[in-house]
Amino acid sequence: MDGKIIVVTSGKGGVGKTTITASIGAALALQGKRVAVVDMDIGLRNLDVVMGLENRIVFNIVDIIQGRCKIKQAAIKDRRIDNLYLIPASQSDDKNAIKPENMVWLCGKLRKEFDITLLDCPAGIEQGFRNSIVAADEAVVVCTPEVSAVRDADRIIGLLYAQSITPKLIVNRIVPRMVENGDMLSHEDVVEVLSIDLLGLIEMDEYVVVSTNTGTPLVLQEDSKAGKALHRIALRLDGHPDLPIENPMIQKTFWKKLSSKFSRKN
Amino acid sequence: MNFNSLLKKLMNKPASKDVAKQRLKFALLTDKLDVKKDMLKDLQKDLIEVISRYFEIDKESITIDIQRSEECSALVFNSPILSATHKRGAPAA
Ligand SMILES: Nc1ncnc2c1ncn2[C@@H]1O[C@H](COP(=O)(O)OP(=O)(O)OP(=O)(O)O)[C@@H](O)[C@H]1O
Ligand SMILES: [Mg+2]
Repeated sequence: MDGKIIVVTSGKGGVGKTTITASIGAALALQGKRVAVVDMDIGLRNLDVVMGLENRIVFNIVDIIQGRCKIKQAAIKDRRIDNLYLIPASQSDDKNAIKPENMVWLCGKLRKEFDITLLDCPAGIEQGFRNSIVAADEAVVVCTPEVSAVRDADRIIGLLYAQSITPKLIVNRIVPRMVENGDMLSHEDVVEVLSIDLLGLIEMDEYVVVSTNTGTPLVLQEDSKAGKALHRIALRLDGHPDLPIENPMIQKTFWKKLSSKFSRKN
Repeated sequence: MNFNSLLKKLMNKPASKDVAKQRLKFALLTDKLDVKKDMLKDLQKDLIEVISRYFEIDKESITIDIQRSEECSALVFNSPILSATHKRGAPAA
């Protein structure tokens, strides 16, 4: 059976696409799938450093497309996780080095080699975005609970619909304390405005920074809440769509619980 | 709920997330109307092409707009006619 191609996209930059692509890829591979993650950000590659594989790059996606190497030669095997492969972006070319028809061809090949291929889409709606969605079977839209990020997500969702793809939403960088205080959009607010199915909720988590520092997979950090959420997202993406979505919450002490009960009465 | 947000509540200040949600809804609406503007331009081009087969019109002063009231929306097309006679070659009425 052919594998599937899933694009991770957002419109707005810096909302967590690369972090999420690397983590979902790792989680799916740990679940026993053969996984490729592809860095589509030509000229500004990042997925390699997030995964700690920057020293192993020999060939890149543009090399594959221009026939300088085979997919197998460009795909870098992860250091820790079996069945996880990275296809890095080229750092020297620009976005126009790849055309949509090249991606259709490449994705056709990747479907034969891997159960799941995740495409880490660049920010924006230009060529890099077009290349990333042209051959995708499914799409994950990432946003943060901020006006600008949600607005850009709405635009992206419209463009995906035009391509006959029904995307699912991840809300990232949630700060439960701020949501509780009414100073951050809740995921309910975001879902209501975008009217889209939710795939998962990820809270702001210091482990993300730590694991990016060292280039180690977030999903291997036992105590990371974001890591746990991403494990569950990976399960939902592959075979367990009805796994309940956990709502990030403040860890409450007895006294806090008591005082919040008290203040609510006012 | 912490002290600050309690204070805000007592002073009847809206939660900042409600302000965010309101602004977001408004932004998305204007964004979508913006996209419709492109569509209107295409429609205008097509209309000019069709009408020009029958009338000589002033292509520069044509206006096309969506007017909305609470009950209904209307597509309003305004085209000054320069010459009411059929142009040569137009299909007979
Ligand atoms: N849940 C989180 N908690 C804390 N930090 C996070 C979280 N998610 C992402 N970050 C941080 O936010 C920054 C941006 O993340 P990332 O590079 O994954 O975003 P991106 O959408 O891929 O950005 P770009 O659009 O530039 O490609 C990084 O520094 C990352 O460590
Ligand atoms: Mg990125």
